[in-house]
Amino acid sequence: MSLKFTEEQEMIRESVREFAQSKIAPIALEMDEKKEIPQDVIKGMAELGLLGCTAGEAYGGPGLSAVSAGVIAEELAKADCTGSTCVYYLVPASWGFLLNKYGTEEAKKEVFPKLLSGEHFLGIATTESDAGSDVGATKTTIKKDGDNFVVNGEKMYISGVREAVTYGGGHVTIAHQSKELGTRGMTVFYLPLTDEGITPTYIPDLGREGISCGGFTIDNVKIPKHYILGEENKGFYIIHEGYEYARALIAVICAAAGLKSLENGIAYIKERKSFGKPLAAYQGINFKLAEHYTKLSMLRDLGYQALLSIDLEQEGKATRFETSKKVAMAKMFCSEWACDAINDVMQWQGAFGYSRECQDQAAWRAVRSFSLAEGTKEVMKMIVARELLGNKQY
Amino acid sequence: MKLIVCVKQVPDTTQVKIDPETNTLIREGVPSILNPFDQFALEEAIKIKQENDEIIVISMGPPQAKKALLKCLALGADSAILLTDRIFAGADTFATSYTLAQAIKKLGEFGIIFCGLQAIDGDTAQVGPEIAGILNIPQITYLESIEDVSGKKLVARVQTDDGYKIVEARLPLLITGITTSSFEPTNPPMMSIMKANKKPFFTWDANELGGDKDKYGLNGSLTQVIKIYSPPTKEKGVIINDPPEAAVNKLMDLLSKDKVI
Repeated sequence: MSLKFTEEQEMIRESVREFAQSKIAPIALEMDEKKEIPQDVIKGMAELGLLGCTAGEAYGGPGLSAVSAGVIAEELAKADCTGSTCVYYLVPASWGFLLNKYGTEEAKKEVFPKLLSGEHFLGIATTESDAGSDVGATKTTIKKDGDNFVVNGEKMYISGVREAVTYGGGHVTIAHQSKELGTRGMTVFYLPLTDEGITPTYIPDLGREGISCGGFTIDNVKIPKHYILGEENKGFYIIHEGYEYARALIAVICAAAGLKSLENGIAYIKERKSFGKPLAAYQGINFKLAEHYTKLSMLRDLGYQALLSIDLEQEGKATRFETSKKVAMAKMFCSEWACDAINDVMQWQGAFGYSRECQDQAAWRAVRSFSLAEGTKEVMKMIVARELLGNKQY
Repeated sequence: MKLIVCVKQVPDTTQVKIDPETNTLIREGVPSILNPFDQFALEEAIKIKQENDEIIVISMGPPQAKKALLKCLALGADSAILLTDRIFAGADTFATSYTLAQAIKKLGEFGIIFCGLQAIDGDTAQVGPEIAGILNIPQITYLESIEDVSGKKLVARVQTDDGYKIVEARLPLLITGITTSSFEPTNPPMMSIMKANKKPFFTWDANELGGDKDKYGLNGSLTQVIKIYSPPTKEKGVIINDPPEAAVNKLMDLLSKDKVI
């Protein structure tokens, strides 16, 4: 794939860049400090059509392709060193994609308008205390109750809990419907977090502090049938499409955050002199710069290839497995490579690099999370190996 | 009523440098953008657009200028026309105005032509007034805002040296706007961007425009650019901090040394 973007994608980039650089970049560190994305930034993101950008035109969304969604993610990551708005954007983009594809008309007409206007949040809540990448270990259950369903359980380490509880909205969730069938008995559904059976808890995160992290217990929460995504008991397969969308966006975000940090580093090492010459003149530094730049450029390409594969898959031109492999390849080292690069940029800047005034430390804390979020690095290796070995158990 | 907006794609001058050897602009790697003054003009047109009005954006430039027109469509213009032909190359402000005026004539009856104050690459501020001259219509320059459009009349607030004045003119007319400090350019939303490519877009060459071909491009230009250069950097001034008498003496010495007195 060549990274030649369409005219629309170039326009999307320009529009998002102008917005993000003027409205987000100047207040990024403040968002981390105040642990909140200001409402006018969320409103601006909504007005620009960034929230729920994968919702189809029929529901008031722009129905962007995955590559276009990647362009937005990249520009947000360059502007927001804390990664907070990146997460606030990527979660509804990815799970909005899933809702758009598998949701009922009724659910889409109910959820999308308020997501698109910025009033509500749409998140993903699959992780539990004892079930992360191993989705099959989920303990939450969903049971039929007449025309409705009843959900019980607990979710943990979930982004945007406070946002959905405070302002409205909910999360795409997975639970066992037929425990005896294992992963073939799981169902995906939309769970509003405003139900009285939801009790939230909050967990302070290391980074991307503008968006909340937390968990919630689900106590006999009744949901209507139209909140089910796709077929009942097919949730394990469906949920992975959402994960993959998010993983590919995360790869692009990590590449952009790392490359932006290198830009900061380049400006610094050209200017700062030590022992009579600029830091950039030292091979120990400029070799690292070259290595990081090369790795991050590869990562950016892998991320866009993964996003393109998602788009091609929707057109029937790529298989699920091809997409899974490309996405896992892109996600595997995204956090590690970006963190390594940012860590070196922090080192080059000396004591300033370790201060809270330095943008790069915020970027490092944000990017570090992506080695875990939406599937660990280790799981990505399992997926690639599984595809290479032909799905057999060795 | 047709509302016509003339726009230009320009290099982002915040990133342009001049080659000191050749005295030409270094355009390599410099992104092209919609002239910010023209975006102000377009947004003024959008503000006053009524239900039956149609906003048409026109630009003269190379095929790549399509990008600027697409942005205008995403911002709310209804259709776009790109005037592109090798014969148009090298046009000065007069030849540019003549070309744009030919396109406007081809569109038939219109109400208002909107132009930005000036383009940020040339800074001449001549094209708008020249179009009005060629089309022989009234013009309002230094427009701050349109106060009212009713019937065949437009009322506008216009900037003056020491404040503003309210002027009135009959339609059809041309306005050039200043970009007020309170103006915040709109970033086109995703939905509009996705629709932009579906709006009518036309490309016209010299044959389609007709007119006098000798008045197009370099041949039709009344001026020629001899040299582009950066003005010399202003040197640091001298501050004399001595007591008054000594300071005056020192100043007199300096002025006389420089043969000012």
